[in-house]
Amino acid sequence: MTEADFEQLVDRQYRPLYRFALSLSKSEADAADLTQQTFFLWASKGDQLRDRSKAKSWLFTTLYREFLGRLRHEGRFPKIELDDVREEEVSISPNVNAFDSTTVLQALHAVEEPFRVPLTLFYLEQFSYQEIADVMGVPIGTVMSRLSRGKAQLRERLFSKEEVLGNKVIALQSDRREESHG
Amino acid sequence: MDNREAKFILNAYRPGGQDANDPRFAEALEQVRRDPILQRWFDESVAFDAAMTEKLFATSVPSDLRESILTGVKITRAPHWKNRLRKWAIAAAVVLSATLGVLIWHNARPAPVAGWQLQALDAILSSIARNESHFDLISSNPADLVKWLRENSAPTGKKLPNNLDKLPSIGCKTFFWHGKPVSLICFTLPEGRAIHLVMTTVSTDSDRAIKDQAKVIQEGHWATATWREGDMIYMLALDGSRDELRSYLL
Repeated sequence: MTEADFEQLVDRQYRPLYRFALSLSKSEADAADLTQQTFFLWASKGDQLRDRSKAKSWLFTTLYREFLGRLRHEGRFPKIELDDVREEEVSISPNVNAFDSTTVLQALHAVEEPFRVPLTLFYLEQFSYQEIADVMGVPIGTVMSRLSRGKAQLRERLFSKEEVLGNKVIALQSDRREESHG
Repeated sequence: MDNREAKFILNAYRPGGQDANDPRFAEALEQVRRDPILQRWFDESVAFDAAMTEKLFATSVPSDLRESILTGVKITRAPHWKNRLRKWAIAAAVVLSATLGVLIWHNARPAPVAGWQLQALDAILSSIARNESHFDLISSNPADLVKWLRENSAPTGKKLPNNLDKLPSIGCKTFFWHGKPVSLICFTLPEGRAIHLVMTTVSTDSDRAIKDQAKVIQEGHWATATWREGDMIYMLALDGSRDELRSYLL
């Protein structure tokens, strides 16, 4: 790979990588550092990747692993009892268009980490469930489960913000009536 | 498939429609078409996801991040493409020296011309190739290398041969050869090749015998040129033709 190729890759991926890093680290400085570190690793090891069409997945996977490595090093590895997470279904979505991007990002940051990662990849880079599974190193069933729970948490966080902003929220409705039609 | 299961699967359905033909979603999508309540949920879900994507894409990125990445990679380490090129250039120079060392001695008789420069080049590049020593400075800008050589009182001409200063450089090295200070600058040529400039000061009668008009020699696929300008002796070497080498002497 030439220097020009490297520069092109940086131009294509540094923004989405940074946004992914920001969703993980919640700190702009840490996100920038994670992004730079990922490209440093590509500069030294990227030539080992035979299929250049996988460069995007390689970068996102590497950044995620760097993030996890730092958490382990700092002893902050999240312990989430996934089964304890309350799954809440809402029949009406919050009005996302009423929020600015900062507020939406804050709501995403409030989602617990195991669910936030697949959500971010899904939203920011339009990763397929298979690509998300490859980045996270988990089965696709786990990805689908975490996307479902992550979206539920995200809607809940955004509903909370709607209340804070004074927008009237349509009451949560259970899906029991819908289930009878399924 | 009930609606709960359909929703579980459809939460992974990308709002841009890329998954429309994915068989994993087929049954759930069929369920959506049959059930108007599920259809309503699906339409809202897709709209929500599309809005989320739009909002998150609007998140600003530090304006200096791109330059930090590119500059940081250059400074922290020579990227692998340059490492490969540098090692090739060194290896090629070592082969060059080994091949031409005897030839130069032959051509130099009875007045040896630049023989010791080739031996010196061979020795220092072999040392770099074995990681026993390293370039003193690595830079793709020849002006940086020339400036560093001058600041460190290493043999450096008033200016580089005309077409050399337009080439990206690899690095420079200073060393002593039997008490004589010597400077080396390596440059990159198109298609991953390299050209090497050795500089030293005149100090012996045999040095003074070197003419100011370049003596160009071709041996196999290697070409070298040796000449003197005032108190400086130059030797230029590349894997190529004499005509190509001459284009860098103008």
